[in-house]
Amino acid sequence: MIIDINFVGLIITSIMASSVPLILASCGELITERSGVLNLGVEGMMIIGAISGFALMTATGSLVIAVFGAMLAGVLISTIFAFLTQTLITNHVATGLALTIFGIGISAMIGKNFVGIPGKEFPVLFESLKDAIPFLSPILFGHSIVFYFAFALPFITSYFLKKTKIGLIVRAVGDSPDSASNQGINVRLVRYLCILYGGAMCGLAGAYLSMIYTPQWIENMTGGRGWIALALVVFSTWNPIKILIGAMIFGGLTIIQFHMQAIGVRIPVQFLTALPYIVTIIVLVVISRDSRKIRLSTPSSLGKSFYKDN
Amino acid sequence: MNTNLKISNVSKIYPGCIANDNISLEFKSGKIYALLGENGAGKSTLVKILSGVIIPDKGEIFLNNKILKLKSPIDAKKKKIGMVFQHFNLFETLSVFENLIIDSDENRENLHEKIQSIMKKYNFSIDLDIPVLNLSAGQKQKVEIIRCLIRNPEVLIMDEPTSVLTEQETSELFSSLRQFSMEGILIIYITHKLKEVMSLCDEVAVMRKGKLVSVSKIVNEKIETLANKMVGQNLKTVRKSISNERSSEKLIKISNLSFSSEDPFETNLVNINFEVNRGECLGIAGISGNGQSELFQILSGEIISDKNSIEFNSNFIGNLNPQERREYLMAFSPEDRLEQAAIPQMKIFENVALNNFKSSNFFNNGLINENKIKEHAKKIISDFNVNTDNIELKSQFLSGGNLQKLIIGRELITSPDLLICFNPTWGLDVGAINYIHKTLIKINDQNKSIILISTDTDELLKLSDKISVIHKGKLSKIMNSDEVTSEKLGILMGGGEID
Repeated sequence: MIIDINFVGLIITSIMASSVPLILASCGELITERSGVLNLGVEGMMIIGAISGFALMTATGSLVIAVFGAMLAGVLISTIFAFLTQTLITNHVATGLALTIFGIGISAMIGKNFVGIPGKEFPVLFESLKDAIPFLSPILFGHSIVFYFAFALPFITSYFLKKTKIGLIVRAVGDSPDSASNQGINVRLVRYLCILYGGAMCGLAGAYLSMIYTPQWIENMTGGRGWIALALVVFSTWNPIKILIGAMIFGGLTIIQFHMQAIGVRIPVQFLTALPYIVTIIVLVVISRDSRKIRLSTPSSLGKSFYKDN
Repeated sequence: MNTNLKISNVSKIYPGCIANDNISLEFKSGKIYALLGENGAGKSTLVKILSGVIIPDKGEIFLNNKILKLKSPIDAKKKKIGMVFQHFNLFETLSVFENLIIDSDENRENLHEKIQSIMKKYNFSIDLDIPVLNLSAGQKQKVEIIRCLIRNPEVLIMDEPTSVLTEQETSELFSSLRQFSMEGILIIYITHKLKEVMSLCDEVAVMRKGKLVSVSKIVNEKIETLANKMVGQNLKTVRKSISNERSSEKLIKISNLSFSSEDPFETNLVNINFEVNRGECLGIAGISGNGQSELFQILSGEIISDKNSIEFNSNFIGNLNPQERREYLMAFSPEDRLEQAAIPQMKIFENVALNNFKSSNFFNNGLINENKIKEHAKKIISDFNVNTDNIELKSQFLSGGNLQKLIIGRELITSPDLLICFNPTWGLDVGAINYIHKTLIKINDQNKSIILISTDTDELLKLSDKISVIHKGKLSKIMNSDEVTSEKLGILMGGGEID
């Protein structure tokens, strides 16, 4: 069997494309969690982003308004979460779950009128270079700006957390909100901003799905990607670079199992569909086994409410 | 520098408690001031007001005759008031340098230089690039002090700084504080340790139940006079009479016990061996974090070890869980009363039933027999002098002393052969400490044994028949308590050797 090198390049490209929403949502959630807040509403924020992006695109015809509108929708819905957990001190887990259920419900309601409407073509960058180099060109060129942003994001996130002062403050708040507060850091404000940032990234991830990856609105189209994004954050031990690896493995297995089904490999379809979930978690567990590093990188105050008494 | 700090009619009221009742005090630079008082006397509230963490309900603070409005810790820092908290305010997983740069306005290079010059001047040596959790308590405190010094403070407040230090580290701290004081920094030193006040400070203010009781010069005071002012009554301290009549019958034997953990927050234990006879109290001293918590967990069965490493009453029980060990008549009083010993949200009588699942009285066919448990709880409350008559109260609302009495009572009412307790009087006031000490001595008199793991050397010397010291997971040789002094213990606790 002769394998066409360009075909391999195309498979890798499709793997990368399918991992974009995971990278975006995970990197957003990672910042939220690093500040000590556990937001289980990722799936809900993504689906809200997906419907908002698609609806705005249909209504206004402007892709720019649609993309930023989707991010704004993510910010708005995460503001509800932030207000509940940070101002009213509700439980993070319950509030996050409620947010997901709310998001799925309201997106289905808004989305009724958008089912079956075709999407718009999203412009790609460097299209002229697409055939310049065999194998490499389809991987590197001819993608949307969101695609390039997603692959830069883990590195930006890592730099932000390790090298900038605001990143240091985020980590400090996640490590010990009491100490941070006694040092004069406004813990609630930091956490608010981190939650809103996470919301924006989840909104963008949703918009990518409904506007670029499969340009149409289908009810419940995030299909559990929000939960995978959450799992990626934990299993990556809050390391953005490992999120990139995990998202690629997950995306890769999702694509490969499609191809295996198409070729007609005699393995039950259900098992193939489950495979990406199982393998991603196994791989991340294996590469993150150092318990010392886990303790050092896990935000100590994750999921715990903070309030100042004076 | 000529600093003058004045507190004028400051009050802070919490629901059900007046933490500071109309306090007025004046401090001048060049002297070291002690703020003395028991737990709950209101010292910490007062210094938190001075450092901007708490905003007072009433009253003013003046720095150099100018009114000082502190709305947040940042205001205090900007006004050059530095504070070292009792519970360190450090970020454990961040590096030392990251901890220092986080609230600094300077750039990396300048700050680095400044830290180096401070460390050189005061003879500190700390690796700036390792995470704070790898530092000893003394080093962590130095990081806190450096954090204050970076801002060239005029006032430095130390809140119970020696509670986690060795004697060696304490004397280093004292000489640093004297040096700061000579350089013109006004120092306010909060403590309940009388000896430290006498040796370090120039003037002392005593607080009791939120009120200022007295202000005086140290030269006019003695330990006894200060103690009486602090407690408000004449105290008789208990001391164990060492008798020779105790049996030499062995009760528990630990042999070749080791424990290794991958968790960086835990300490490994290396080849622990000891024996305790009936009617004896073995004290285990040490600075916190040297393996006491791991040793307690292994002795109580929270961590399972090798079956043969623990021999109790001629049974090998190393592989049994706490519930099974209780059936062999062991009892446990863990360090953290609200986290490990009791369940804060549950009622007193429910907590009382927790260590006694097997009692046929308490449960009928899987149903809770509330009346029996309540009766039992009432007995504990009256026998052990717990100051409440409401057994429906959630245990989180008991004071530390009352909760500790309840827990010790719960453990002792089943009349165990061995009680293992870990810092039983930590954070309690003198009255409650006295009661717990008397109770522990009584147990020994009934020919029952105690393993007392404690970071309080005075307590150990008072109660133990034999003492050993744990340092970095290793146990020193076991000494008779009458041949041990607190100085000797201090050397061993700091990792030194004695003959």
